[in-house]
This record gives sequence, structure tokens and C-alpha cells, in this order.
Amino acid sequence: MDIGLFAQYVMNGLMLGMMYALVAVGFTLFFGVMDIINFSHGDVLMVGAFGGLATYLGLTFLGVENPWVQLAAAFAVATSAMALMGALIGKFLVLPLKKAPPLNTLLITLMLGTVLRETIRLFYPRGANPQRFPSLLPTDAYSFGNFTLRVDNMMLLAAGLLAIIGIHLLINRTKLGLAIRAVAQDEDTAKTMGINFTLIVLVTFAIGSGLAAFAGILHGLYYSEVNFGMGLLLGVIGFSSAIVGGLGNIYGAIIGGFLFAALQTLGVLAMPFASAYKDVFAFGVIILIMAWRPTGLISEKISERV
Amino acid sequence: MSARAWLVPLLPGIVAAAGVTVYVILLLVVESQVGIAALLVAGVIAVLVAARFGAAARVGAVFAERDDILNLLVILAVLTVTGFFYEDHFVLLMVATVIIYVIACLGLNLQFGYSGVLNFAGAAFFGIGCYTAAVLTKNTGVPHLVVLVAGGVMAALIGSFLLLPVLRTHSHYSAVVTIAFGLLFKIFLEVNDTLGGPQGLRVDGMNVLGWEFNDNIEIGENFEASFYVNYIVVGLIVLGFAFAFVRRVERSWIGLNLDAMRLDETAAASFGLNITRWKITAFTLGNFLTGLAGALFAMMLGFIAPTNFTFGDSLILVSIVLLGGIGNPWGLVVATVMLIIVPEKLQAIQEYRFLLFAAMVILILLFRPEGLLPRPLRTYIPGWKPK
Amino acid sequence: MTKSRLTQFAVAALTVVAMVIGFGMGSFPASAKEKIKVGFIGPLSGGTSSNGLGGRNSADLAVRLRNADPKAKYSYELLVQDDECKPNIGVQAATKFGANKNVIAAATHYCSAVAISTVDVYHKFGLPIIVWGAVLPDITYGNTYKEVHRVNGTMINQNETAAKFMRGLGYKTWAIIHDTTDYGKGHDKYFTKNLEANGGKILSRFGVTSDQQDFSAELTKIKSMNPDVLYFGGLTPIGIRIRAQMEKLGVKAQFQGTSGIVSDTFIEGAGPLAEGVVAFREGAPTEKLPGGKFFLEQYAKQGYKDPPEAYGAFAFTAMSLILDTIEAVGPDRKKVRKALNKVSGSNAADSITGKVDFDDHGQNTIAVITKYVVQDSKWTVWEDSAYAAGKRKLKGM
Repeated sequence: MDIGLFAQYVMNGLMLGMMYALVAVGFTLFFGVMDIINFSHGDVLMVGAFGGLATYLGLTFLGVENPWVQLAAAFAVATSAMALMGALIGKFLVLPLKKAPPLNTLLITLMLGTVLRETIRLFYPRGANPQRFPSLLPTDAYSFGNFTLRVDNMMLLAAGLLAIIGIHLLINRTKLGLAIRAVAQDEDTAKTMGINFTLIVLVTFAIGSGLAAFAGILHGLYYSEVNFGMGLLLGVIGFSSAIVGGLGNIYGAIIGGFLFAALQTLGVLAMPFASAYKDVFAFGVIILIMAWRPTGLISEKISERV
Repeated sequence: MSARAWLVPLLPGIVAAAGVTVYVILLLVVESQVGIAALLVAGVIAVLVAARFGAAARVGAVFAERDDILNLLVILAVLTVTGFFYEDHFVLLMVATVIIYVIACLGLNLQFGYSGVLNFAGAAFFGIGCYTAAVLTKNTGVPHLVVLVAGGVMAALIGSFLLLPVLRTHSHYSAVVTIAFGLLFKIFLEVNDTLGGPQGLRVDGMNVLGWEFNDNIEIGENFEASFYVNYIVVGLIVLGFAFAFVRRVERSWIGLNLDAMRLDETAAASFGLNITRWKITAFTLGNFLTGLAGALFAMMLGFIAPTNFTFGDSLILVSIVLLGGIGNPWGLVVATVMLIIVPEKLQAIQEYRFLLFAAMVILILLFRPEGLLPRPLRTYIPGWKPK
Repeated sequence: MTKSRLTQFAVAALTVVAMVIGFGMGSFPASAKEKIKVGFIGPLSGGTSSNGLGGRNSADLAVRLRNADPKAKYSYELLVQDDECKPNIGVQAATKFGANKNVIAAATHYCSAVAISTVDVYHKFGLPIIVWGAVLPDITYGNTYKEVHRVNGTMINQNETAAKFMRGLGYKTWAIIHDTTDYGKGHDKYFTKNLEANGGKILSRFGVTSDQQDFSAELTKIKSMNPDVLYFGGLTPIGIRIRAQMEKLGVKAQFQGTSGIVSDTFIEGAGPLAEGVVAFREGAPTEKLPGGKFFLEQYAKQGYKDPPEAYGAFAFTAMSLILDTIEAVGPDRKKVRKALNKVSGSNAADSITGKVDFDDHGQNTIAVITKYVVQDSKWTVWEDSAYAAGKRKLKGM
């Protein structure tokens, strides 16, 4: 195969993988502290993207035209709004069901996702239609044979990687991260060590949801479009990535995200006649992996306690 | 025993059934939006009042004692509604849809309610039944009653591909297996050309021994009943069997095993229950029922497409099971009527129905996690009370 | 015992109250004229909704004008259903109208994929309909249903003109992306046929689903083949995505669409990237129609929020024709069907889009095809554009 073409596929795969990894990290954070799956995560991402879009439109309306200001504002507003929403979800929907069967938490977050999706569809102005997301980044492009390097794509990739590194540092190098890890490891012991459990859970939800909003805006910038249904598939893919990597393990989530994107891209490369089947292929592999390693590739260390 | 002595204890139940029938007919007749809203409010108040003054408990007691009477009354009620609207296509379509959805949810109930096997791909198994019916009716001369069964068998067979991952995984992990399968199924249908792609497929109407289900029933010169009556009759027969079957399973030792497994898998296994066997049984039987309902639905509707079987549709099926009271087949009936008929009649909420259902399920999970009609405690002998 | 009697009484009383309210609301004082129900179905939500809303408003305009006319024999009520541009939802909507005996006739469907699935339903219930926007030939020619009519043209002529025109400009090689509904497949089929007849070459062809998000795989392959033109047979939502992602991946081909992207939503969605996109549509532009001015004036007067879009005039024509027919033969499905079948030859009906003349499949004859190009964020008729004048250039020219 042509080297330029190959580079293009790798680039496509990297972009997808970075977005999946960002979503997967959120899932894995929630699972770490609370042992729950927050299935509304993909839809929080979608709402975040719409929040960014609305911020941009509002600024344009007010006459602020500088794309860098607009971009910064969109990121700031969307991530903080979603962080707040994440904390609220944690407080009012997830913590009250702490003692209930896991099915209930799963369902409540699935339904919350539906509520978010439908709210945008019904109440955002013409929300049922795909919305154009503005190109706020420089669009210069350099061509090397069949490979096109776009400045905006490089910036998106860099931003995504920075966010992942940031989360890594936050978890591993700060006191807050230590507390999160402590809660994840053993709730009761963490409590006896004077860690405020509720606070840590809410902060974790805020971080994860803020990250989702960040990914949502990256997604919008990459595809130049956002729509009310985009969160569902992204959420499921992100969750699958987290699972494949082993829930509760941040590196697992990142590896899972890139692995999933690689699977999709490989699906296209290996079966050029059936590129449409790439998602079928990817989900099929997920089901197989689940059959092979029921708790993910890097599995949870503790076996079931009776 | 004189007829009087036989009838009197049943009176509260009969009156309640008649009242509900009249109410449903009213709900279906009234077209003005204000009227429907008033009826709904009146219905809620009536139920609350009945509960407050103990009438609901009396009715419940009668039905708990005489399950057979309840079944008979419900069948009578459906036939009354059908007779009342015998030429109104649209109302009968709704009635038939409710019946078919109840069959599908009975399948899910076996999985969620009794054995605790999660299945978030209900719409996909329903869809397998639909597509089986579409392919068989178009391309083969298989008798249509066999097609119904084939729809169920196909759903069970394809479901068995998921058995290994479903058996090996627990809670969240097994949820993701079925969710992934549901999405995979829809995407597969969309990209697969031989099954119609996003365009969908036409399905022939049912034909049993030369009796065309899609023709109106004409008797004499002046009487013409909607063709949906055919589907209601077949649907009721299937539902009758399915319902009786599910109730038998629930009451039998199989149901006991399933309950034990759901409540504590590890403990059940250590008491010698074969977890694998019962999970397979519940998952396969449930998918069979769901697929069967799908096949009937496809033949009635005459047209199916991948967008019938989205993840959202799977969630609606789960909502019905949960809203009705997980594990209680009667709750399913009530919940299905609410989730299918109310949005159709109350046009104002039609567009908001997904939103409202989802919000409703959230509230139920927070404040009444056992659903509208919680599953009653197991009684080993009908009518037995502690002395 | 008293308690339960009380309950029963309360329940009975409430039922009676509800009945009174219910029936009271149901029986409004009868108006002087008989109220007749007619239907409209189109995509009111989703990516093609701007066309659906424009069609809905135009049909509504026809009904309003008729109700304002003192000479009209009946007063009309327009029932509206959303088909979401999804075949199964469309079948549900069609079943609702078909099963409702009070609906006499309907103007239905913008999306071909929906229309082709619903014709059976109309036939089953005997509901006469006029298609106002779907262009797939089989909707009228694939069956012999007497219930089905169409006032707009089909995609056959559209693709004939498209192929000739683009070859005439000097383009040689094409890549095709089409959606895999009957609509996209139809475009693929007729465009390929006409292009090959005109000596164009097709390098590759991709079928995609109508809600696909990521086209990088298809576009990366197309890029390596370097065609002159990318032909897109599909509707606005994925049209926008493909146009945007072409840019990201550096695909330099000229973008050529079909009538399915001739909507303001496409231009809003694609933003500056819409510039220079060409597309084709059957029928003259609304403002150049015989009754175009009248239609646009009346439309503006009603103050609708959304513009009539490319197919509004056809929706208006379809609904007006239905109302004319009901006025003439009375509110009876069978009579309306028969009367509509007779609208042909010397009996052709006048409309704002010119004569409506159904052939024996109920297909109106529309000869004119309009060529459009996006210029300064507007669909501009090719002949009037800066591109035809040579002031601007399409890609690769």
C-alpha cells in the first residue's frame, strides 16, 4: 500500500482513538470510585458539545469574533457546566441508589441519557437537525502524496493527548488523586482514614463529566457537526473500550480506546469490500473479548466475595 | 353450591374488570384532548381512592384467590373492546399492538424478572422475529403459523450465540454484551443489502388455511369488521398460551430455582443449582417469546425497517417490564396499556413520549423501585392464607 | 362494608363525570359547513425537516386559502403526520391516515425511501394520495395502484440532465457515494446509466447508511483514486457530513448532488464549504413558475416561520388539487380517487406549477430540469450564476 495512504489511515485511527479514550477514561473513573456504570456519559458528552456550540453562538451574537476567545470560552463554559451536571447526577441519581441492585443504577443512568437526548432534540432550537459546528482552528493543510496533514487535526490530537496526560498526573501526582485512588481501592478504609467519601465521589463525577464535555467539543471541531444522537454510539464505544481495558484502570481505558479505533480502521483495511461493516466487526470483537475475558483484558484483581 | 354463593365472593373482581373495560373503551372513544386528559386524571383519582378505601385490596384478594377468573375476565374485556370498535381500524391496531408488546415483554420478564439475566437487546430479538417472518413469507411457502414459531426459534437460536458471553459475565459486563449486540444487529441490518438495508422489507399478511388476515371480515351484506380483528384473535390465543406458560414456570420448581439464582447466584450454586442450565433456559425461552411476538407484529404491520429496532426501542421494552413491577406479568399488561395507548391518544405528549417515559422510569427507580404492581409474595397454594 | 360501597360510589361518580366531560368536549356545536379532514405527511423532524416543514406550510396555505373562500362547499381541516424520513415511521403515519375513515385524501412524502414503502398501505386502505416531493420512479411506475399520484417529476430526467451537463463541462471521472435506501440506489442506477451513455467513467462506488457519521474510510479511498467529481446520491444530513469531511481529508473533487440536497439546510450545515456545489431538480424554480409569484406572496402573508423550500410549490399544488377534487365530487375516497385518475389530457388541471397531467400511473409530466449551483450561500440557477458567466470556476476546471 501507498505509504501516504497508510499514514492517512493511521491519522484517522488516532483521532478516533483519542476521542474514544477520553470517553473511556470517564467510564473508568466512575467505576473506580463507585463500582457503577454511568451510561448517560455519552449523552453528557453530547450536551457538552451543544453547550460549547451555544456559547460560540452567544459570543457571536454579542459581537465577539476572535476565534481563540470563542474557543476558550466554549471549552470553559461547556466543561464547567458539565462538571456541575456530573456532580448533580452523582448526588441525586447515583448516590441515593448506592444500596440498590446494580441493575437499578444502570437503568437510571440509561434513562437519564434518554432524557438528555430528548431534551436537546425537543428544546434546543431545531435540535432534531444536525447542527453545524464552526471551524475555530486554523485550516491550513499540507499535502504529502496521499496524506493530508491539517493543522486543526494536529491541534485536536495534541489537545486530546494533553487532557489524557493531565488526568494521569491528577490521579497519580496530587492529593486529590490519591484520595480518589484510595476510595477506588477500598471505600471503608478510605473513610476511616478521614477521606470525605461523598465529596470525592462528586468530584470524580465532575472530572469525568467535564472531560466528556471536552471530548464533545473536540468531536464537534473534528466533524464540523454535532447532533442530538451522537452521544449514544460514542458512549457505548467508550464503555466497551473501558471494559476491554478492564474497568477501573485508567491505562486500560486509554489502551482500550485506541484498540477500538484500531479495530475499526483495521476492519476497513482488511475488508475493503465491506467497509460499512466496520462497526459490526468492532462490536463483534467486543462480544468475543467479553466471552474470552469476562472482566476485561486487564481484569479486576478481586474475585467475587460471597 | 348455588350460583349465588358462587358469584358473590367474586363480585368485587367482576365489577372492577367491568369498570376498567368501560374506562378503556371511553379512553379510546373520546377524541378531544381535554376529555382524554380529564379521563386520565379521573382514572388516577379512582385508583388512588380505591387504594385508600381498601377496595383495591379486596379486588386484589379476589384475583389472588381465583387466577382463572381473572384470566377469563381479561379475555372477555379485550373481546368486548374489540367488538365495540369492530370497524375502527386504528383503535384495533392499538389493541393488537398492546397484545403483541405484552407477549414480547413476557419474554423479557422471564429474563429480568425471574432469573435476573439482563437483556438490553429486546428490540433486536423482536426484530429477528420480524425479519424471519419477512424472509419466510416472501420467499417460501412455509405455513404462516409455522412462521410465527420460526420467528421465535430464530430469535432463540441467534440468542444462543450470546450464551457464552452472557454466562461468563456478570451485571455491567453482561449488560454491555447485550447492548453491543443490539447495536450490532441494527447496524448489520442497515449495511446488509440482502435484508433490505435501511429501506426495510415488506412482509406479507398472515394467511392460515386460506383465511387472509389482511382482508376485512365481511359477513352478509352490511357487516364488515376490520382485518385487525384477525390479529387480535391470534394475538390473544398466543398471549393466552404464553401467559399461562410464564405463570406455570413462575409457580413451578423451575420458578423457584430461577428466583434463588436471581437473588444470590453464588449461594444458589453452592446449594447445588445448575446456574448455567437455568440461565440458558431463561435466556432462550425469553428470546423465543420476544421473537414470536416480533413475527406476528411484522405480519400485522406489513412493513419493517432497521429503525424499528433501535436501542431506544429496547429501552422502552425494559421500561415496560420495570414500570409494571418487575417479575409481575399482570403489571406488564397495565404498563403496556399505559405506554402504548396513552401517547397515541394524548397527541400533545406524543412527541415527548420518550422523554416522559425516561423521566417516569427515573422517578420510579428513585421512589418506587418495585414498580406499579409489585410482584406479590410467592403463594404455594392459590388462596392460602396464614391462619 | 360501608367503606367499600363508598369507594364504588366514588369510582362510579368519577366515571360519570369523566364521561360527561369527554362527550361534552367531543360534540362541539356543528359549524355551518361540513368539516372535511385531509392529511399531509412529510419529514417534520430530522435532517430533512426544512423541506418537510416547507411542504407542510404550503399544504396548510392551500387549506387556509380554501377555508377563506366563501364559495367553498366544505370547511377543511388539515391533519399532519411526521414521517421522520424513516420508512417504518412513514408506514405508521400512513396507517393512521388510512385507518381513519374521516381522512378523505392526503398529500404525502418528501423522502422516496418512505414513499415507496407506504404505497401498499394507501392501496390497502383505499386512501387516494398525491406525492409532493419524492422522486423515485417506482413510486408511481412500480405498481398499478389507482390511489397513488404524483405532481412532481422523477429522478430519471434529473440524472439524464445531470450527466449530460457535467460531461459538457469537461469532467471525465467520477466517484459515487449513495445512501442504500431505494432513493440512493435509484440515483446511483440512473446516474450511472446516463453517465456511461455520455462517456463518463466511474472509478468507485460506495453505499452508505443514511445516518453514518464517519466517512473517512470511504473518502480516503476516493482520495487515492483522485476522481474529478464526487457524485452524492442522498439527502441533506449526510450530504453535509460528506462535504465537511472531504475538506478535512483533502479530497479535491467537485461535489455534485441531487435534488435531495437542494435545501437551505444544506447551505447552513456546510457553511462556506457549500460554495460551488452543484445539484439538479425537476421543475422550474418557484419564482419562475406560472403561479410562483402568487404562491410566494400568499406564503409570505401567512407569516410562516420556515421558507417553502424547493418542493413547497408542489405540496401546494398537490393539496389544492385534492381540495378541488373534493369540492367537485364530494368527500368520498372512492369518488376522489376516480376523479383524480381522470386528471389528464384534455382534462388536465391548472395549477401554480403549470398543467397537472397524470399518465395512466398517476405520474405528472414534468419536463423542465433546473440546474443549481451554490453561490454566496444561495442555491442559484446555473444560467444566472457567476459560474456560468465564467467569473467563478468549479473545482478542477
